[in-house]
Amino acid sequence: MEIPYIVTPRKDTGLCNSKIAIWLFLASEVMLFGGFFSAYVFLRLGADYPWPERTLPVLPGLINTFVLIGSSVTVVFAWAALKMRDWRKFQIYMGITVFCAVIFMVLKGIEYNVKLNHQAVRLKDYTVMEGHLSYEKDGGQYVLDHNGKKIEENLIFVEASKLTFSTVRFHGPWVDELLAKAEHKNAKILLDADVAVVSEEGKPAEIIAKAGEVLSKDLLNRIRESHLAARSHNGALRTASLREEWKDALAENPGKKGWELTSNVNIDIEGITPKLLTETPAVAFKVEPPVPLSFKPRDIKEADGQSRLRDDTVVDGKLLPSPMVFHNVDAIDFQHLAMKAVKKGVDPIVAIENSWLLQNSPFAKEAWEWHQGEVAKHEAQLIRDYGMDKDGKPKREPTLKERYRIGWKELAKKAEHDGRAKLSTSAALTEEFMGPNYKARGAETFPEFSLPREQIGFAAKFTPAWNTYYALYFTITGLHGLHVIGGALVLAYYMFFGRKMYLSNPEWLANRVEVGGLFWHFVDLVWIFVFPVLYLM
Amino acid sequence: MSSHANTQDGHAAHDDHHHDPGFWSKYVFSTDHKTIGIQYAITAMLFLAFGFYLMMVMRWSIAYPHQPLPEWMSWIFTDGWKARWLQDGKVTGETYNMFGAMHGTIMVFLGIVPLGFGAFGNYVTPLQIGAVDMAFPKLNMLSYWIYLAGGLIMCASFFMESGAAKSGWTNYSPLAGFADGQVVNQWLAGQTQWLLGLVFLITSSLLGSVNFITTIINLRARGMTWMRLPFLVWAMLVTAFLLLLAFPPLEAAGIMQLIDRVGHSSFFMPSGLYTKGDGLADLSGGGSPLLFQHLFWFLGHPEVYVLLLPAFACVSEIIPANTRKPLWGYKSMVYSVLLLGFLSFIVWAHHMYMTGMGAAVSTFFQTTTVLISVPSVVIITALLISLWGGSIRFTPPMMWACAFIPMFGIGGLTGLPLAFNLVGLHLHDTYYVIGHFHYVVAPGILFGFFAGILHWYPKITGRYMSGFLNHLHFWPSLICMNLIFFPMLMQGMAGFHRRWYNGGDAYLSKAQDSVNIFGNTVAENIDMNILMSYGAWGLAFFQIFFIINLFGSWKFGKKAVGDNPWEATTLEWATPTPPGHGNFLFEPVVYRGPYEYSRPDCDEDFLPQWIEPKHAAPADKPEVTPAAKH
Repeated sequence: MEIPYIVTPRKDTGLCNSKIAIWLFLASEVMLFGGFFSAYVFLRLGADYPWPERTLPVLPGLINTFVLIGSSVTVVFAWAALKMRDWRKFQIYMGITVFCAVIFMVLKGIEYNVKLNHQAVRLKDYTVMEGHLSYEKDGGQYVLDHNGKKIEENLIFVEASKLTFSTVRFHGPWVDELLAKAEHKNAKILLDADVAVVSEEGKPAEIIAKAGEVLSKDLLNRIRESHLAARSHNGALRTASLREEWKDALAENPGKKGWELTSNVNIDIEGITPKLLTETPAVAFKVEPPVPLSFKPRDIKEADGQSRLRDDTVVDGKLLPSPMVFHNVDAIDFQHLAMKAVKKGVDPIVAIENSWLLQNSPFAKEAWEWHQGEVAKHEAQLIRDYGMDKDGKPKREPTLKERYRIGWKELAKKAEHDGRAKLSTSAALTEEFMGPNYKARGAETFPEFSLPREQIGFAAKFTPAWNTYYALYFTITGLHGLHVIGGALVLAYYMFFGRKMYLSNPEWLANRVEVGGLFWHFVDLVWIFVFPVLYLM
Repeated sequence: MSSHANTQDGHAAHDDHHHDPGFWSKYVFSTDHKTIGIQYAITAMLFLAFGFYLMMVMRWSIAYPHQPLPEWMSWIFTDGWKARWLQDGKVTGETYNMFGAMHGTIMVFLGIVPLGFGAFGNYVTPLQIGAVDMAFPKLNMLSYWIYLAGGLIMCASFFMESGAAKSGWTNYSPLAGFADGQVVNQWLAGQTQWLLGLVFLITSSLLGSVNFITTIINLRARGMTWMRLPFLVWAMLVTAFLLLLAFPPLEAAGIMQLIDRVGHSSFFMPSGLYTKGDGLADLSGGGSPLLFQHLFWFLGHPEVYVLLLPAFACVSEIIPANTRKPLWGYKSMVYSVLLLGFLSFIVWAHHMYMTGMGAAVSTFFQTTTVLISVPSVVIITALLISLWGGSIRFTPPMMWACAFIPMFGIGGLTGLPLAFNLVGLHLHDTYYVIGHFHYVVAPGILFGFFAGILHWYPKITGRYMSGFLNHLHFWPSLICMNLIFFPMLMQGMAGFHRRWYNGGDAYLSKAQDSVNIFGNTVAENIDMNILMSYGAWGLAFFQIFFIINLFGSWKFGKKAVGDNPWEATTLEWATPTPPGHGNFLFEPVVYRGPYEYSRPDCDEDFLPQWIEPKHAAPADKPEVTPAAKH
């Protein structure tokens, strides 16, 4: 049996199978990316926060655009070489194509890396600050985690004195982490009281864990097993009892519907109590001595006195102040605050001047005043360039972003203006790819700043979590990147392992390269849309 | 395989019969479209049975609120599972939600689609167009295994600590974004597993649809022009296009929801989201729950036709073969199915009238929705008129096909009021909606599939399924289906909400005498729940006869005489029984349209497509290009 039209096209359709298939596949890909682009339009139009415009580095994106367009050309040359039966030339052109894919992914990787290590925080009054963070000890030292590394993420600190684990739901890796954290601070986590259970019907209770035993996953698992066995046993007893009760109730009330009796039918608790086994849904451990433990905000529902973790572990202890130390502050952004102020009918400039940050940070105040001067200059320039309209209003005005955002380039400009470090051209060019050079520009340009926890509204790295723009950016470019990798792997496969097929059936290989090339063009085309939409608009 | 066949000159015609491929590659990792079709059918029927069971548990909770599940239903679970999910043996709200969400998901994505498109599409389509196999046999095998993996991933989550997905088969955010949020490793939460499974299923159907369309375009036999294609092939072609183009936006939505869950993004999470359990969400916000609904229903509505068209396809093959006359209005049916496919892309927001869209938008969708009923009615009318004046053979498949028409008719017609914005607002999320689409899917589509199974069974096995057992299966199923679903329409109009887990008991105790615009009260209709549940138990019981028939006839059924036992005209009956790898013993050439029954110029009452004409009339010439002919 042989499938027809693998290599030669069918006469009436003029196509071979793989050609039809790749076009269909691309049609579905168009719908997939179409879904994401519709999401982009929908989310951007409906955004209730200032949409980040032109926040991504344009230069690497532009280079990537040309790299991909170039590779689309070379893949055609590779195909043509194959058609002319020139294997060497095919390999060279295909090699260039794959190399372009590598350049693309490396630039993308650098871009991602910068984002993923960059912290943003939105204060309660919607001022946004960007930079890097860590935690400070009283003596001015950085707080280190149990592995001796600087803590660089938003955390909540609790002085824990007691931990109560849910025996069913405790998360194993967290138990290990808590143990390591406590050990790092020379504290022990010990079982608070004996765990005594009745594990067989009618037998007296026996102790399965003694007070003072050290916390371990094994210990918790032991208690968990006993609990689950008891829960199953008791559940079966309770079910059987309830079934009996219903049977009786229905027999005693002929003509009545089941739902009319609901409130009268209950389990015969007294009857089954002697047969029940002991369930141990939770087990408490004390921390000796109480030590500060840190948790991610979304893992803990914090309260002074008693906090609860996501896996139902209860942490007793008081909340510690733990101010977030922002060093290398590289942007101060009042756009969101201004937007909220306008909605409330407040003059945004007044709202900004009353903001917590300007009240508490001399650096921010100085930067804002400098920025106001810059905006005024820019405004005057726009009037000079574009003039006024009939109503005497300037034809063009600074954008929301220009008015209310002080980005790293502006902070650097201010520092240079103040006579501080000026970077060489090559160092400045590197900044276009890697983001601001904190070391060279120093703490005067990008200072350190301590934020009390109660001022923090929302904090995240520049990940999908930060806002819907970044979520879209990572999803669309990530998916596109996966397409680049997948396409490059297939093309590289033809380059390295296509020789055998080339010798036996070169037309078939050319067919495959053509199909791969079509996919490659599609990947390129997607980028042509991604680049302006995410980088320029 | 084809590569070395290609290089061995003179062995191009070599076939695989002379070396035994062995059990695993013959029955399990087979690339033969017929084996894959049967694999799809068996897997899908197992999933259907599981989905049916979930529904029975739900129906128990509805009919007998607060009563423990009876032992004949709960024995499947371990004591540990019951202690976790059944409170003193009773179905809790959480468990009800889980079963409800998974019932819908399993029936739609793991049951009906694979049975209709995967099984019938795979088995019958290449045979009917005279192809040796699908265009990409390995891809075909891959799509089955990806489907199975996706299904198992979804179902495995029943046994996780979090349980399976609980946010309805529509999986709306923000609920679906929060559900199972207590699980620390989100990859091990049922709600996340649902999304992962979905991505698998979409990949599977994408591979499948590319394969089907390529096969239909390029592997048609000589002389098989477009207007000589059996209607089944047309229906499968449109189905494949719907899957190809409608599923990707849902995949996009699935990926975004996945990132919402594991990456804590806010695609579908609005600002300032507050929940009772977690307080103010630690999320950036700024997303749109409505966006998910749009992306979901952009798939969701074409999906309805993905379910329906294969059933249309089966019935429209069975009716001409059993009425002994051509399908009435073949061409108008073809154009209708194409129009149906197109229109199904622009009706999706009629599922979203409650979201407060403007009058202009809802009028647009109301109009397109009413429009789409036209091609559906054309098809169903053509099938009905096909019966007119035929000498009907009431064979077992024909009984199901005949029942399909009125049952689907009820389902379709009860949908019309829902198309209207104003009525839609009132009936939204009531049992009326449930009754409507279950009439389409259960007694409609499933009856079509039963018909299909009985019709092609002699080709697959060489034996008929038992007519006696079929009577025991057919009549009770017809009655029970109506017992379950007709009261739903009445309850819905009385205001029964579709997600009441205890049958409205809680509602009843608070507002016993609430009267709605139809003058019906909840209390008046609540006792129907018991009747409907008996319908469900009955339906389950009488499927046993089908299972006995399906497997028993394989060995003990009456032997079918010849390769064309129904005396049908389409190409699948030109193959040996069962067809071997490569399907045809001769190269099939098509001389005429698919439904040439009772031609006055023939001795017999059927003239198959592959029979060479004695005196070749101009219209019967085989080598006519589609463009030249039409």
